[in-house]
Amino acid sequence: MATQSLRTAVVIEKRAKEDAQQTQRGARQAIFKLDGVGVAYSGKPAVRDVTFDIGKNEITALIGPSGCGKSTLIRCLNRMNDLIPGAEVSGGVHYHGQDLYGPDVDAVEVRKRIGMVFQKPNPFPKSIYDNIAFGPRVLGMKGDMDEIVESALQHAALWDEVKDRLKTNAFGMSGGQQQRLCIARALAVSPDVILMDEPCSALDPISTGKIEDLMLDLKRDYSIVIVTHNMQQAARVSDRTAFFTVELDESEKNRTGRVVEFDDTEKIFTNPSDPRTEAYVTGKVG
Amino acid sequence: MSETTRAHFQEELEGLERSALGGLDLVAQALDRALETVCNQDIELASMVIADDDRIDGRYLEVHQGILSLLALQAPVAGDLRLVAALLHVIKHVERMGDQCVNMAKLVPLDGHQPPAEQSLLDLIFRMGEQARQQVVQCGQAFERRDVAMAQDLVRQDDLIDELNRAVFHRALELGDDADRREWAMHMMLVGRCIERIGDNAVDIGEQTAFVVTGLFREFEDASHPVAPPPTA
Repeated sequence: MATQSLRTAVVIEKRAKEDAQQTQRGARQAIFKLDGVGVAYSGKPAVRDVTFDIGKNEITALIGPSGCGKSTLIRCLNRMNDLIPGAEVSGGVHYHGQDLYGPDVDAVEVRKRIGMVFQKPNPFPKSIYDNIAFGPRVLGMKGDMDEIVESALQHAALWDEVKDRLKTNAFGMSGGQQQRLCIARALAVSPDVILMDEPCSALDPISTGKIEDLMLDLKRDYSIVIVTHNMQQAARVSDRTAFFTVELDESEKNRTGRVVEFDDTEKIFTNPSDPRTEAYVTGKVG
Repeated sequence: MSETTRAHFQEELEGLERSALGGLDLVAQALDRALETVCNQDIELASMVIADDDRIDGRYLEVHQGILSLLALQAPVAGDLRLVAALLHVIKHVERMGDQCVNMAKLVPLDGHQPPAEQSLLDLIFRMGEQARQQVVQCGQAFERRDVAMAQDLVRQDDLIDELNRAVFHRALELGDDADRREWAMHMMLVGRCIERIGDNAVDIGEQTAFVVTGLFREFEDASHPVAPPPTA
């Protein structure tokens, strides 16, 4: 029966895909290993018990309602929380197997290796060229600065748009271009991880689409972690998704973020394991 | 995270499910009439069955359009996405079952008002039709209740139809050498085939029930493989 043959083919194809996914999963390399990570501000836990691996050359999305600790967590990954008075990080954050919070680890070197892009584009009040060259100059990077700038702008898919006005002020760029400039600025110091905290929330759909395309291009060379409130964006670009929620602690006074589910993005958005994830991604609770 | 949101979307989705499953009620009516048409050689009723298929086709278009709008405007995910995907299959099966009723009705005028009918063969056809009707109702109930065991039971029921279909075939072969009677018997074999396909479509809807509940699509029964256990959540 032709219909049955077709259905069988569909099942076989699905099983083959599952096997391929399993094989691929087995080959995944973790760039970060988070083991019971918690962050407290002035003794009050903001997020706790976070345990999962972040894959190399993957895009990992952190989603969840406001106050669930996803931005707090992403800031742990390049020690940005060091800059916040009273912030304490507990648990293990291992980057390439090394304890990121070990006594001999230089936070500046960490931030060079692990760049960050913020919600609102924040170019320096300088020329496009100087924005990109700033990091390499401060870090005393060797090499031809023109090449470094061009390479970073090329990687950020911005070169063709700005190559004839590199010496003009970055504030003259559109919001989307400014955000790609910030990505280029992060790339200029040769990181291997880029953290993005709601990088498109201030951008229009066209600019958002360009950043998303860029992320998919960049993951060939970099590992990306993105915090986003836009679940369709998480679905479109990420390989793996962590869903965070907010819980009241035992005293019922403090709200603390926790990871509910961490899995392949396709699984999270088609058949999540936890009903709380299902309720959140389908928008039934907020 | 306690406040329930997207109430309008939820209503829309529930409405689509009601419309799609309501299509099964239309199929049950069409099947009743098609059976009556065949068993009583009622040519006028046959033309009504054929004309009324527009209602089922209309339901198909309505649900199909509703699903497209929902996908475009609401971007359902997770359980909602599975339900929408399943409804797209369900309504297609509804439309196909309606077409099978039309196929049955179209055979009736070919034999004229007083064909050389044979009661034992008609009895078999009637039993097949009753069984298929039961499956049409049950697949809708299983889907509505998200009852995988009830959906899986459709396979057992479908085996009864297949058995009756084989009996129709053998009975038709036994009906002697009269050319008119053999022609009528061949038509009854085709009617049997239509009913058998309706049963298959009901099983397919059962498989969609299991998909909605578990997130895994597996055929309950496959001609080239042993019967698979039902997927579990």
